[in-house]
Amino acid sequence: MPGSLSILKLAMLRPLLAALALLFVFAQPATAQISFKPTAEAVQEDKLLNALKEGDKISGRVSIPDGNAANLIQPAGRDWRDFHRSKLPWIGGISILGMIAVLAIFLMVRGRIRVQHGFSGRTILRFSSFERFVHWLTASCFIVLALSGLNVSFGRILILPLFGPDAFAAMSAWAKLAHNYLAFPFMLGVAIMFLIWIKNNIPGKLDIEWIKQGGGLLSNGRHPPAKRFNAGQKGIFWIVVIGGTLMSVSGWFLLFPYLPGNVTALQLWTVTHAVIAMLFIAVMLAHIYIGSVGMEGAFDAMGTGEVDLNWAQEHHALWVQEEQAKAGTAADRPARAVPAE
Amino acid sequence: MKSFVAALAFAVVAAVGVAMVLNTIQEPSSVAFTTTGARVGDPGHNLIGPS
Repeated sequence: MPGSLSILKLAMLRPLLAALALLFVFAQPATAQISFKPTAEAVQEDKLLNALKEGDKISGRVSIPDGNAANLIQPAGRDWRDFHRSKLPWIGGISILGMIAVLAIFLMVRGRIRVQHGFSGRTILRFSSFERFVHWLTASCFIVLALSGLNVSFGRILILPLFGPDAFAAMSAWAKLAHNYLAFPFMLGVAIMFLIWIKNNIPGKLDIEWIKQGGGLLSNGRHPPAKRFNAGQKGIFWIVVIGGTLMSVSGWFLLFPYLPGNVTALQLWTVTHAVIAMLFIAVMLAHIYIGSVGMEGAFDAMGTGEVDLNWAQEHHALWVQEEQAKAGTAADRPARAVPAE
Repeated sequence: MKSFVAALAFAVVAAVGVAMVLNTIQEPSSVAFTTTGARVGDPGHNLIGPS
């Protein structure tokens, strides 16, 4: 009986052993498949990258002096690249082309703003030679910086197909050098403009009235009183000072990319630099328009420095009164008192 | 016009001056970001070279 019992047990175990054997046969290749299947690993890597938060990095260890070279993967860099390739051109295109369109419509509807009483033939000094020097220093640098900067965002799309790769590469290399080094006289110009014009650009109650009347830009014959700078010009001043400062600080970090300390901060500064640049260019287009084509007699202020007295009385009546009062006071003094202009 | 021309001239002179100063006080990337053991004699004109 014990023998028959053993045979019975063996008979019962056979299917179990067979099942175990089959399990090993099928299970072993499956385990191997999971370990080495590259597509499965790629899915896991993608989950890992998505799990990393903004600014997180996968870093290694390096022995070279550049510690940032240890960063192997920084997922936020994909967002940054996407911003530069897709969003920034839209921001720039809409703001710059939009401003050009607005100015063109304004010119068609309003026309050129004329000197209402015509030129008097008498002039008054509006800007000294030093003030004009600083203005043109900043302006000329700004134009080169703007064009060379736009080349970074739009050159590949607009200029490369026209010039070809060799000419485009050479032009871009020179443009980059000009951008890097003309940034310094631009920063100097913004700083000096701030110092010499801050006293005339403090906002006041008069500016609110000027804004309420739309600066007299929308209707003929109405000129709200203004001192040396009206609210619009004060707005331009503060945009140049604040925008120029932000461009300078962010540009400084781009010029010396190891100052921000890490690549995430550097990406933030490049985005800041690019977005402000686009808006800055759009605003400056309006400034250039109203200082040249848009308003008769306005360019003389930065051209020769002297503007027609009628122009000055229409647009800066209070400033003319102040200047004439100064000149009158000076004329009353004996000997050395000579009006400047 | 004189102010404009003077501003252009100053901008160019200032830019060239800054370039010369920076080139003097800064190390080339081929020196700054390598240790002496990995430094090559003539790095050429590629990404790690002088330009």
